[in-house]
Amino acid sequence: MIRRDIPMWLFLALAIGGVVALLVSYELLSARQTRINPKQTTIPSFAKLNEGLQKIFQPQGTEENPKPPMFWNDMRATLWRLFVGLGVGVSASIVIGVLMGAYRWIEAPLSPIVMFLSKIPPTAMMPIYFAVAGTDQRMFTSMVALGIFFSMAQSIYQAVRDNVTDESINKAYTLGASEMEVIFEVIWKQILPNVIDCVRMQIGPAMIFLIAAEMVVSDAGLGYQIRMQSRVLNMNVVFVYLVILGIIGLIAEFGLVSLRRWLCPWFEEGTR
Amino acid sequence: MRKTFMSSRSLVATFMISMAACGMATIGCGDSKPPAKSGAVGGGPSATAPPAKFTLAWSEYPSWSIFGVADEVGLIDGKAGAMGSIEKKYNIDIELLLASYDQCITLYGNSQADAVCITNIDILGAAGSRNSVAIMPTSTSAGADACITAGIKSIDELAGKPTRGLEKSVSQYCFERCLEKLGKNPADYPFSQMDPEQAAQAFQGKDEKIPSIMVWNPFVMQSVRSRNDAHVLFSSESIPEEIIDMVVVGKDSLGKKGGSDFAKAVVETFYAMNQRMNDEKTRDATLVGIGARFAKLELEDMKTVVTQTRFYSDPKDAVRLFTEEKFQKETMPLVSKFCVEYGLTPAPLELSFGTGKGVIDFDTTFVKEYLEQPKK
Repeated sequence: MIRRDIPMWLFLALAIGGVVALLVSYELLSARQTRINPKQTTIPSFAKLNEGLQKIFQPQGTEENPKPPMFWNDMRATLWRLFVGLGVGVSASIVIGVLMGAYRWIEAPLSPIVMFLSKIPPTAMMPIYFAVAGTDQRMFTSMVALGIFFSMAQSIYQAVRDNVTDESINKAYTLGASEMEVIFEVIWKQILPNVIDCVRMQIGPAMIFLIAAEMVVSDAGLGYQIRMQSRVLNMNVVFVYLVILGIIGLIAEFGLVSLRRWLCPWFEEGTR
Repeated sequence: MRKTFMSSRSLVATFMISMAACGMATIGCGDSKPPAKSGAVGGGPSATAPPAKFTLAWSEYPSWSIFGVADEVGLIDGKAGAMGSIEKKYNIDIELLLASYDQCITLYGNSQADAVCITNIDILGAAGSRNSVAIMPTSTSAGADACITAGIKSIDELAGKPTRGLEKSVSQYCFERCLEKLGKNPADYPFSQMDPEQAAQAFQGKDEKIPSIMVWNPFVMQSVRSRNDAHVLFSSESIPEEIIDMVVVGKDSLGKKGGSDFAKAVVETFYAMNQRMNDEKTRDATLVGIGARFAKLELEDMKTVVTQTRFYSDPKDAVRLFTEEKFQKETMPLVSKFCVEYGLTPAPLELSFGTGKGVIDFDTTFVKEYLEQPKK
């Protein structure tokens, strides 16, 4: 029957079983590929993946001119770009989204533009970012920021419009709140969980733009390393980096959900 | 009770999920199968079997776009299941895979293509995952890779200023070798990663942070023209016959049934096209054809391009290159050293020249056989 519960131990067993099945079939596939071509690097075995893992933590450069291991170098570059981009994009979209939701005369001129631009895939706009913003940090920041800005502004504006009732605003006015107080004490507090969820949703797309751009114009970063290592067919390093990307995603997801639960315990999940 | 077993929406969803599952299964199979499935799927090998299928991955580059033009003029048919005149002669079916250069390397290295158009530098990286045989050189860079600067008039001025280009590639190799030849220490000349097309665009857009780029054609030509202050500081002209464009076949693919016929057909196609290029009557049309497959260049530009990318249009010249001492004892060891230094290969690879012993063998057998063919 649909939605019939299963015991917790069975659920856990199946969950672990799924992961184990995936890993075992991967290793079998790798062994099979190795039988066909003993030198293959396409589907590296776990031993080879381990080598890849060692490799990314090895110090680079020469003795006179040591450089940090590629992992730290790439993580620093990518995360910095991501945080700066997200920071700018999120703050801008909160300001614009809240204003659009609060004032009809701001909503009117901006909503068609925001709605339209949020539909253009930011990766398709990459050539324009390269041409306009150069190729350094400014380009990455503007790309990530603008890439998430339009769709985030759109969702925040909708959250203000739909989730903040007229009654709560009128109550605040009746109690003598100023416009600023209504915005900060009523609107902002009510949409905060939506904003956090929005950020959570936008990290994936932001990573897509960032990795795509890094593959093309960067000399450090996860995207750069994935391109270079796949170019020299070190697929074991590529796979390790993909796992790292997955872990970053999980950490971001978990962190933001916990943040929301901590800041907005009143927010009921799944009732949006 | 449940008259409608599934609503239309859930039917659609089920359909899509099963399609996706099928797709994944196919991809999975594709990866795990041996390279470029030869022969029919169900049928076993038989004497009158359909022609063996081989794939050649190529990217747009003057001496490789030739294969695209050969498809157009009917010497070979690049679609699977269709054959041109040379394919019929050898009873093999060549499938042409057009991809970006980097993708070609990945396709070949991961055994998704039997043969690839690649340089003598990048093949060392690929040969680390697949034993390879270089069957013929197609051209050599004689100015097609260049360091272009703006506002930097001499090599001494370039010291300490960043040059952008593709790392661990022909560009970086050429950059360092030219500097060495000019008596400089490459360590004083920073080189940092950027896709050559983006680097050229940024340079052409007068990005102040990009005063120097090391790129290949067509970007060399475009960048030099785009700005009055652009200036070729040095180019692959200083290192003649060090950067070699080639066709390489996987040793496994060459050993398959029809493998050597495939190699012969590729060689014959290349020289047949070169004859068209050297013949007064067909020269311009062939160049225009190549130009259409190389950055959409026009005839006049193509005439320049073929001087900067010198074709090995004479098979004797190809044999000379692969068998001469300079290539075997100087060029390739230098390339090998570069590859180890930049991590393309963990350790020097064993190279061989016609003996078939090395992980990469430079083999002139097929070119020689072409030379010995009775000329019609």
